[in-house]
Amino acid sequence: MCFKNLPIEFDQQGNATLLKDVPNPYDYNTTTLDGEQDKLKELLARNGFIKNVDFDPVTRVAGALAFHSVVDLKNREVLSTNSMATLFRGYEIILKGRDPRDASYISSRACGVCGGVHATVSALAMEMALGITPPPLGVVVRNLLLSLEYLYDHPLHLFLLAGPDYSEQMVTLTNPSLFQKAKKTPAKFEEMHGYSTIGEIMHDLNPLTGKLYVEALHMTRVAREAYVLIGGKYPHPQTVVPGGVAVTIDISVMNEMYERIQQFFDYSKKVVGIWDDVFDFFLESNPEYEKCGYRPATMMDSGVWDRPGVYDASYKNMTEWGKARWATPGVLVDGKLVTTDLQRINAGYEEFVEHSFYEKWDGQRFSEDPAGIPLGPNHPWNKETIPKPGKQSWRDRYSWDVSCTWDRMPMEAGAYARLYLTAMAQELPESKFLRSTGHSLQIDIPKSTLPGGTFEWKIPKMWNTFERNRARAYAIPYSAMVCMENWLLAMELLKQGETKISTPFEIPKKGTQMGVGFWGAGRGFLSHHLVIDDGVIGNYQISTPSTLNAAPRTPWGEPGPYEEAVKNTPILEEFNSADDFKGIDILRSIRSFDPCMPCTTHIMVDGTDKMVTREVTTCACGVE
Amino acid sequence: MRRVLIGTIGYFNLRDYSIGPHLLVQLKNTQWPPGIEVDEMNWGPIAIVQQFQSLPEPFDRVIFLTARACGRFVGTITLRHWVGGLPDEENIQSRISEAVTGVISTDNLLIIGEHFKIWPEEVFLVDVEPGKEEMGETFTPEVEAVLDDVLEIIHELAVNNSSALPDFEEMKGNELLI
Repeated sequence: MCFKNLPIEFDQQGNATLLKDVPNPYDYNTTTLDGEQDKLKELLARNGFIKNVDFDPVTRVAGALAFHSVVDLKNREVLSTNSMATLFRGYEIILKGRDPRDASYISSRACGVCGGVHATVSALAMEMALGITPPPLGVVVRNLLLSLEYLYDHPLHLFLLAGPDYSEQMVTLTNPSLFQKAKKTPAKFEEMHGYSTIGEIMHDLNPLTGKLYVEALHMTRVAREAYVLIGGKYPHPQTVVPGGVAVTIDISVMNEMYERIQQFFDYSKKVVGIWDDVFDFFLESNPEYEKCGYRPATMMDSGVWDRPGVYDASYKNMTEWGKARWATPGVLVDGKLVTTDLQRINAGYEEFVEHSFYEKWDGQRFSEDPAGIPLGPNHPWNKETIPKPGKQSWRDRYSWDVSCTWDRMPMEAGAYARLYLTAMAQELPESKFLRSTGHSLQIDIPKSTLPGGTFEWKIPKMWNTFERNRARAYAIPYSAMVCMENWLLAMELLKQGETKISTPFEIPKKGTQMGVGFWGAGRGFLSHHLVIDDGVIGNYQISTPSTLNAAPRTPWGEPGPYEEAVKNTPILEEFNSADDFKGIDILRSIRSFDPCMPCTTHIMVDGTDKMVTREVTTCACGVE
Repeated sequence: MRRVLIGTIGYFNLRDYSIGPHLLVQLKNTQWPPGIEVDEMNWGPIAIVQQFQSLPEPFDRVIFLTARACGRFVGTITLRHWVGGLPDEENIQSRISEAVTGVISTDNLLIIGEHFKIWPEEVFLVDVEPGKEEMGETFTPEVEAVLDDVLEIIHELAVNNSSALPDFEEMKGNELLI
């Protein structure tokens, strides 16, 4: 059974129908958050402290996300969490009524880092709506662009944004005894990275001056140089268009690209070794770290990297071309694989606005998808974006983000979901460099200056802060080898004279067409749902990884992924008084998701008037 | 040949805050003497650092056009001379985090450039006080009224040795608020 909570059943042939005899099949309970807040208020009062907290984002940037938590430092636990997007971005409204050809360029601006993926997913939605199949080289070039974008994005996250949390500077400040231990702990993977102790690695993770930090900056440049060879510019490429790409590819461009791709072979080995060492050290030093950022492995991914010759952009064949991707789409619920079928992923996805600053829309335009699978009124093809600014209240509405669910469950998104699902599903088509084993993903890395070898990312027993980041490290060799495989394919196509890179198309002036693009940002799941009415955009809905991860409570009271992960985080930081408290365990947990917004974290220390404010800035993409 | 870069900074469609991108086209269409280049400088401080580091010949002078809210009367033009100085490392790291994630900020660009030592001695800002931050393609009347002055000042700074210009205010990286 695919859905446990949505009223959809499938017969033996896979045909979907609504459950019979259910009067209002898509109804749901709405729970008040009063109980939770009253309990918290009482707890704070018992500790002699009641205070209204100003949740101004306290960031110079037009703050897009603030995270509030109340912490009991005595018992070293987090009592309450709220994730709030504080900025309305309005891309969906900007796009409405425009020529669909504008969508790629405008929606690309939704992010200052991942503009390329927004442009591409928009092109995919157009291709589906208008029945455009790109030629093989067009598909392959898009795959190259995507993997290069990831090779920019992953080091950025690991060393510039999350990395400093594990640096000598930070660890000496927050867990000095741990750093003393690190200095004496031998590194297991010295042959991969050259460091003899964990302390040495932590030293080079120091922001601004650490060698690993500076090296990552350099590697982001290498990836970007390779990207612009075909993307024209970055992060908002000019060459990604519905139907393929608008750029001429020749052997000389491919050679220039290869010169840069191969630099990631050795770098992959180094990065994997470094993070395996650092995270093993934390987890072995104190097993309580396993609980940091814990939540069940309940996540979804759209899959990425289409197979030329299989991808035809049609909704009808979406299940097949989705499964043929180099990263398998799918949904995991508490570590169990539920589906890898993009049609079912689409049908189960909903967005709710009960705790968000939006009005509920009326009506339901589409009762089923083009394959006949029932759709609810909260499905993105039915959803409308109607902003309704108002007073912020933890009991009511507190975010510009929406609550996203699949089968009525909050879902986590991330580059790690790409690895997890691909490893577990065993649906990866034949690959020169990758194998899915059901419990791991094996990645063959060629010899470069370091010897070649096979890396194996294993599905972890416990899903937490450290495993999110560890998987992100393995996402570098994964992306590098998909890049290499597509580079080889492109060379083969060029050799065969298959140089066509795009398919021309026209936009019908009349009628309604609908499409969805499923692709992935560096930090996970990405979808654009598009409806074209009489030649212009009638509805456009964007879901980014941070839309999922930063979600507020569901209408029935379940926390969003950030909220849940931080709530489960024990406080392991060493401190003498509330004034010394830095909140590093909470920060590490939020940053492990690679939050895609300028995010400010506020931590209210229970029993005191102390509020810790830390920026968790990542990229400016995200909420509507 | 003396090399001068005129760079505009700012988000689009934010009324007065967009004076840089708004005047970019006009600046680009101006017939400048050889050695003067005009570029949009919104494409990320780290990328800009990397580009400056790879320049075969460094710039002798960099002029930024920007709008920073500093509590002046709307439309006030202040000429600033960047004299370096850096905030603490935590502050620099915060700015780099913002920069690599797409935030456009003049202060971030100056501080990050300073940290990576890319700036020539002559870095100037033509800094206009914006009105309220709101969406839109038009300027407040106060800023609209000084657009020609802004262009004239940039021209003077780029082409001449700026002797005809009013005094510069010094701008230091360690005195900027995050």
